[in-house]
Amino acid sequence: MRFVVFLYLTYLLLPIGLLCVGSLGESWTNTMLPTGLTGRWYLEVIDDPSFRRAFVTSLQVVGAACITNLILGLPLAYAIYNAAHRGVRMAARVLTLMPIAVPELVLAFGFVLVFSSDALPWLGSIWVLIAAHVVLTLPYLLQTLLADMEHLGLERVEQAAESLGAGFGRRFLDIVMPSLRHSLVSGLIMVAAISIGEFQLSNLVSGFLTRTYPVVLLQAFYGATGFACASTVVLLALAVAAAAAGALTARAASRQGETKT
Amino acid sequence: MSVRFQDVSFRYPGSEAGVLHIDLELGPGELVAVIGASGSGKTTLLNLLAGFLRPDSGRIVINGKDVTDLPPKKRDLGQVFQSYALFQHMSAWRNVAYPLKVRGVPREKRRALAIEALKNVDLEAFEDRLPSTMSGGQQQRVALARALVFKPKALLLDEPLSALDASLRMSMRDEIQRVQQQAGIATLHVTHDQEEALSIAHRVAVMEQGKLAQVATPRELYDSPATTSVARFVGHANLWEGEVAAQGCVRCEVGLLSCRTAGRLIGERVVVLVRPEKILPLGANQGAPNQVRGALVRDRFLGPVRRYDLRVGQEIVQGETDFWGGIESVSIPPEAIRLLST
Repeated sequence: MRFVVFLYLTYLLLPIGLLCVGSLGESWTNTMLPTGLTGRWYLEVIDDPSFRRAFVTSLQVVGAACITNLILGLPLAYAIYNAAHRGVRMAARVLTLMPIAVPELVLAFGFVLVFSSDALPWLGSIWVLIAAHVVLTLPYLLQTLLADMEHLGLERVEQAAESLGAGFGRRFLDIVMPSLRHSLVSGLIMVAAISIGEFQLSNLVSGFLTRTYPVVLLQAFYGATGFACASTVVLLALAVAAAAAGALTARAASRQGETKT
Repeated sequence: MSVRFQDVSFRYPGSEAGVLHIDLELGPGELVAVIGASGSGKTTLLNLLAGFLRPDSGRIVINGKDVTDLPPKKRDLGQVFQSYALFQHMSAWRNVAYPLKVRGVPREKRRALAIEALKNVDLEAFEDRLPSTMSGGQQQRVALARALVFKPKALLLDEPLSALDASLRMSMRDEIQRVQQQAGIATLHVTHDQEEALSIAHRVAVMEQGKLAQVATPRELYDSPATTSVARFVGHANLWEGEVAAQGCVRCEVGLLSCRTAGRLIGERVVVLVRPEKILPLGANQGAPNQVRGALVRDRFLGPVRRYDLRVGQEIVQGETDFWGGIESVSIPPEAIRLLST
C-alpha cells in the first residue's frame, strides 16, 4: 500500500519539483540537473508585458466564469432536479454533459464560426472567451450540485419546509442555498481550476490581446529552459492559490453554517 | 378540529394507482391510522390531505373549511416524514423554530417556544445539536416537536417509525400517542405496521387497492373484520372455506363446527374465521366442543407463545398457546368462530 502511494506521489511531484529546480537554475542543457542559481527567469517573466497581460486576463476570465457559473448554475440545477417529467430531466442531463463529451476542438470551431461572422464579429473579445469558459465549466458545477441534491433528498426536505408554511422564495433562501453550500463551493473550485488551466479552447477563441496565461505559456517553451520553467511555476502557483482560496472559503462557509443559520 | 374527506378520488396520470371514493372523517383529537399493503393508496391519501397532490374529484375539509384548492403551505398541517426530513444545517431548536420563523414570530419568542417544545419530547439538552449528531429516535422527536410547535390544525404521520429499530419503535409509539393526546389534535397516521396501528389508534382504516375496505376501532377490526382480506391483513387468521350445513352449524375441510349462523341461509358459502389464540390445544381425550383431531406438522417457539400447525384433512389449523405439552387435537370454541361472506 505504502509503496504504491510513494510511487504515485513521486510520479506526481517529481515533475513539479524539477520545474521548481529548473526555474531557479542558471542554465540547463544536457545535464541531469541545471547549474548555477538565479532569480532572473522570474524577473524576466514578470517584466514580459505579454505574460503580465495574460496573467491579468486569466484572473479576469476565471473570476467572471465563476460568477457566471454561480448565477446560472444554481437555478439551472434546481430546475433540472425539479423537472416534473423524467424525460425532461434525462434530456437536460445529457444536454448539460455535452460540452464535456464533445471535443473542445469542435466547441472552439463552433465559436470561431459564429463569432467571426459579420453579424457577430466578436471573436477575440474577452466576453467570448468568458462565454467559452462558462460553456466548458458549467457542466461540472451542475453535476456536483445535482449529485448533492439527490444525496440530500432535497425534494423531501423542501416538502417538509413547505408543509411548515414556507413559500418558494423562503425555501430557496433558508433551505436550498444553505443545504447546497458545500457542493456549490467545491463545484466552483473545480470551475476555477479548469478555467485556469484551460488551453485548447482559449487558444482558438482568444484574440492577440486577450490570450490567457496557458496560451502565452506555449510561447515560453520555444525559449530558454529556465524561462519556460519559471513561467510554468507561476501558473502552478496560480492554480494552487485558487484551490486553496476555494477550500478556505468552503471551510469558512461551513463553519458559519454550523454556528449561525 | 376535524378533518373530512368527501368522496375523494385521485389517479396518478398514466397509471391505475390512486384512491377511489374516499369518505373518511377524523374527529377532534382523534388518531386514525391508515394501514394497507404497499401500493394500496395510503400514502396517496396522506399526500392529498397534505396538499402535495390535488384530488381529481371530491373535497377535503378541515375545520369546516374547504382546503381542496389550497397549496400545502396554506393548510397549516403538521407533518412528520418517514425520513424525518430535518434541515441538516440547522440546530435542533432552529429546526423546531422554523415554522414559527416563517409565521413571523420574533426571534426570542420562537426560541422560547421551540425549547419548550423540545422539552416536551425530552430533548431540552439537545437544543444546539445538529441533526446529524443525533440518533434516529431523537431526530424523529425533533421532527415531532417541529410538526406541533405552531399549533397546526391536524397532524400527519407518514410511517414515522419505520426507520427505527424494533426496540425503539415501541417506546416511540407510546411517545407519539402521549404527545398527540396532549396536543388534542386530529391525526392521520399512515403505517404498514398493523400492530402499531392497533396499539395507538382510536380507529383504523384499512385500504385495499385505493379503496377503504373497513374503518373501525382496533378491537372491532380484529374481532369482526368486514372481509377476508381485512381478516388476513390484520393479525393472524385461520380462514377456511365452507358452507352453512344447518342452523348453528358449518361444514368445512376441518369438519362440522357448531357456531352462530344467524342471518345466514342454509347452503350459503362462507369463510370461517378463527383467530389462532382462541384455539385450545388438547391431548387425545374427547369431549370438548368442536374438537378436531390432527397431526402436528409445525411447532414454533416464539418466546411467550408457541405457534403450532395442526393438519386436519387438507387444511391447516394454526393455533397459539402457552401450553407446552403434546398436542393431538384442538377445540375450536363456537363463540370464537366468525363467518365471513366469500
